[in-house]
Amino acid sequence: MKEQVKLRVSKIEKSFPGVKALDKIDFAVKKGSVHVLCGENGAGKSTLMKIINGIHQPDSGQIFIDEKPVKINNPIQARTLGISMIFQEMSYVPEMTVEENIFLGNLPVNKLGSVNWKEVRQRTNELLRAENLPYSPTTLLKDLTISDIQMLEIIKAISYNSEIIIMDEPTSAITLKEVEKLFVKIRELQARGVSIIYISHKLDEVFQIADEITVLRDGTVVESHPKEELDIETVITLMVGRKLTTTYPKEQVAIGEAMLQVENMNSPNVFHDINFHVRKGEILGFAGLMGAGRTEVMRSLYGLDARTSGVVQIKGQEVTIRNVRQSIDHGLVMLSEDRRRYGIIPMRSVKENTTLAYLKKVFYNFRNHKKVEKTIVSDMLAKMRVRTPTMDTPIASLSGGNQQKVVLAKWMIRNPDILILDEPTRGIDVGAKFEIYKLMTDLAREGKVVIIVSSELPELIGMCDRIYVMAKGTITGEINREDFSQELIMKYATGTLTSDGVN
Amino acid sequence: MKKTLLSVFSMLLVIPLLAGCGTTSKPATPAPSDTASSQKTYKVAYIARAQSDSFAAWLANSVKDEAQKYPNIKLEVFDGQANDDKENSMIENAITSKYDLVIVQPNSGESQRPYVEKVVNAGIFAITTNARISGIKGASSVDAQPYEQAGVNARAALTQVPQNAKVVVLQGPSGNFHADERRKSWQKEFFDKRPDVKIVGEQIANWNKDEAMKYMEDWVQANDKIDAVISMNDNMAAGALEVVKGNPKYEHMLAYGVDGTAEAMFLIKEGRMTSTCLQNANELAEKLLDSSNKLLTGKEKEINTDIGNPLVNKDNVDQYIEILKKSGTIK
Amino acid sequence: MSTGNNFWTTIKKKYSIYLILIALFIVCSLANPNFLSVNNLTNISRQLAVTTILALGATMLIISGMLDLSSGSVLALAGVFAVSAYKTTGSLFIAIIVGILTAVICNIINALMISTFKAPPFIATLAMLTVSRGVALLFTKGQNILQLGHFTVLGQGSIGVIPIPIIFLVVIAVFTWYLLNHTRFGRSLYAVGGNEEASIASGINVHKVKYTAFIINGIFVGLAGVLFMSRVNAGLPNGAINYEFTALTAAIIGGTSFSGGVGTVGGTLAGAFIVGFLDNIMNLTNVDSYMQQIVRGSIIALAVIYDIHTRNRRANSMLGRIADKGATKK
Repeated sequence: MKEQVKLRVSKIEKSFPGVKALDKIDFAVKKGSVHVLCGENGAGKSTLMKIINGIHQPDSGQIFIDEKPVKINNPIQARTLGISMIFQEMSYVPEMTVEENIFLGNLPVNKLGSVNWKEVRQRTNELLRAENLPYSPTTLLKDLTISDIQMLEIIKAISYNSEIIIMDEPTSAITLKEVEKLFVKIRELQARGVSIIYISHKLDEVFQIADEITVLRDGTVVESHPKEELDIETVITLMVGRKLTTTYPKEQVAIGEAMLQVENMNSPNVFHDINFHVRKGEILGFAGLMGAGRTEVMRSLYGLDARTSGVVQIKGQEVTIRNVRQSIDHGLVMLSEDRRRYGIIPMRSVKENTTLAYLKKVFYNFRNHKKVEKTIVSDMLAKMRVRTPTMDTPIASLSGGNQQKVVLAKWMIRNPDILILDEPTRGIDVGAKFEIYKLMTDLAREGKVVIIVSSELPELIGMCDRIYVMAKGTITGEINREDFSQELIMKYATGTLTSDGVN
Repeated sequence: MKKTLLSVFSMLLVIPLLAGCGTTSKPATPAPSDTASSQKTYKVAYIARAQSDSFAAWLANSVKDEAQKYPNIKLEVFDGQANDDKENSMIENAITSKYDLVIVQPNSGESQRPYVEKVVNAGIFAITTNARISGIKGASSVDAQPYEQAGVNARAALTQVPQNAKVVVLQGPSGNFHADERRKSWQKEFFDKRPDVKIVGEQIANWNKDEAMKYMEDWVQANDKIDAVISMNDNMAAGALEVVKGNPKYEHMLAYGVDGTAEAMFLIKEGRMTSTCLQNANELAEKLLDSSNKLLTGKEKEINTDIGNPLVNKDNVDQYIEILKKSGTIK
Repeated sequence: MSTGNNFWTTIKKKYSIYLILIALFIVCSLANPNFLSVNNLTNISRQLAVTTILALGATMLIISGMLDLSSGSVLALAGVFAVSAYKTTGSLFIAIIVGILTAVICNIINALMISTFKAPPFIATLAMLTVSRGVALLFTKGQNILQLGHFTVLGQGSIGVIPIPIIFLVVIAVFTWYLLNHTRFGRSLYAVGGNEEASIASGINVHKVKYTAFIINGIFVGLAGVLFMSRVNAGLPNGAINYEFTALTAAIIGGTSFSGGVGTVGGTLAGAFIVGFLDNIMNLTNVDSYMQQIVRGSIIALAVIYDIHTRNRRANSMLGRIADKGATKK
């Protein structure tokens, strides 16, 4: 039984505008096995699973179930083929009851078309009893924990008689005890012949639960082996092992005294014990996997989100930053991760977007100094090499890379001391990327500080002087440039390695 | 979140309290009546068709004031909000709350008819008013007739409006019983009898002075002369007159309205408005309470009575101003 | 989409409303000889002064992603209080101050609900619409306040040949234009309406912007209330019903987009005059009441459809701004 292949995908390809997400993927899951998919952010794990679940359609390639070719056009069809997916971020209706949730979209109806609630109640009770769950069919979802709701999702999958259950990062929001419960359940399902595809980057857990492990990287399958043939070190190497072909415009720059010092920053359930420092002229990197909390730390530092504790010193002086304006006035600016959401005002012009954070340079003495604005903006756009038809063009018409440069220009106009960049090169073309790297070097040379949060290890290794690595909401490691390696970073990022007393 | 909602609401409630301070003095609370004396206190419900049109509001206020004079009557006013469904629900509520007598000012008679019948069938006294719903067995009525209110003006106009006159007509809201009846009256009593008269402009101004003003301004533009403004109520007539105020070309223009508002009275006295028909809410209220009292104390079983539809013009306006002053409507 | 194309479409979008206005003007002049007289055009301006003042306030609010459904009712409340104040004190100045203060207080409450308590503007200002109308009716017991004496000079008088309401309108229009184009506040309005989260992340004090916008709107509404009551020579608690919709129509036709971040004073004025011309020509040519209503409704439907169609929008309508998605953890 264990040797039968339940699900097989062959030569699957999928592209999205600007990026090739999956490149000729071959992947097979045996019946009754727990098959773990590993990979960095953006390796293609979620995309592949969404294709199997019918949410996306592959550009080319075939899917086989029990060696019979199938087309999966939507999740409902996937369900009838025996595939269920339990998502990483589950949205649910708090006021719904357990029985309503289990049978959502699948309510038994009688001949006249009205719902047979008696049957719903009965079957729910059976399921709950069979799984030994302590709550009742009428319990409201809002009264359950995330772990409970996850269990419900699994029960749903069972109720559909699913033979393939996909779990996307199922342990990201639950406690250790609940993880154990989950694993027990997974073993039970396995015994019944259900195949489980399990996505995770928590390698210690992976090695507990997996039968087989497949590593994806940059949209391709690197290797696929039974667990016994692998260990954590090897998996990490497979996850990151790419040749670093790009040369980065990194310069040796004199490092000065402390510019920024952060002590004891905490935000309950988001991050804890954050301590770090940066000196003038340094480019500092923050590495980590999804859910590590890097963006949250930066947003909190910048004044966008609240925090409960933490002492921040800029140039040796303690500062209070409770909102963005205070942050900017202290010379600390941030380029946010989601450009569309936090970066640009899409329908306004390039010119207006550029001066948005420094309006008093344009509006003073009771009027709008149009010529001054034009001069400031054209100088800055030229410096950043922004390509736009005119400065009055709506910024939404520019390419992603040029938009990013305009947002950067907005911050550069303020001549900041500390520039935080959150995923600055995501989704932009190679040329624009390079220009941003050059800008970072220029800033460092002027004695400013750049903090870059990124999921692209090559970029961090290429540009930074030091890297802090975060995992599970805290800093697990600090690496100096001479010790940089993708494997080391990944070890800290997966929580495999932690160093104490990181400062 | 709930706490903040609560504070929002309490802040909003402050405004009406502040405004309430600005209203004129409240009527004195009546002395407690249900003692060991032989007088029983009756609960009376007055269901107004709306509180937001000025006549209905005037009537409701008058009814409230008049009820103060009757220590044996406790009167509550309900607002039908110019909505048939709402008014009908309120009639039903009055039955459930076991009122002793229900007065209904219908929004549109036929819609309220079955509900008034329910009141009678529940053994509760019913009075319909302004305008009465006729033919309900066991129900009483006190009324002013909108057809007549317009009619007295229309008939006077027959001899006042010059030959081949050009006139403009201002209508009330569409589908409104009073507006429709008055217009019908003008049609039958005047326009049908005077085919020489030409209507150069006719629009719905919704009882409102500002809407009437806008139409009148445009009509004055479009026509070299206008001989008369025929309006279904005084507010709209006043609006039209406001536009031509001080304009010598319109010094002799005739203007007709209905209601007998204080504004109209003054306009007639100044010679700018020709005539109106007094819809005396005070008199209506008097008759309503008097009838209620008679029914409740068993003096009568059924009452149907009317108030007058007096034509008010230059000749008698002073005496009507006196009447309204005495009843407190004009201060 | 080629970038050259975008430049010309922007130009077309910017000026098409004025072309429509001119075309309409010509058609109306031909349709009725009475249209093109000084008297008639002055009448039109006087008639639309009040709603256009409201429209200018509405324009600022819509640009910043909000709106005010209460302006007609608050106008009536402010006007009724102002009239009362005038009758009590005999001072025009005090009356105007009372009117403005009333409207400003109502609008601060609007801002409190919307900016501090995050209520959707549609619902918050709808509540204010109902409450303020109720207060006006309560205060006046549903009756009109009469005999305003000299108060009427504001709405009915002129300075030279120019009616006073038009002077108010011009001053307010210029002031609004100045705010939108020559102040940090104006620039921030466009930013907040265009993308509120990006504005916060750029250091803009969004609360301050929203409160200021409502306070200025309050001043406009208060003045409009004084002008309105003065024009009709009565304190009408039931006056100006649905004026907020006429104001919104003018703003929308004038190119102010419901998705926020777009709008101009010139456009709104053009929109107001387009509606004003249409109303006037329909009256001059004696178009039936019901037909007028249908025409007016169709115009606003067309304006909204045009707005949705020509803008490259995400699902960012005013009603949809209620939803707040949390950022994904990294």
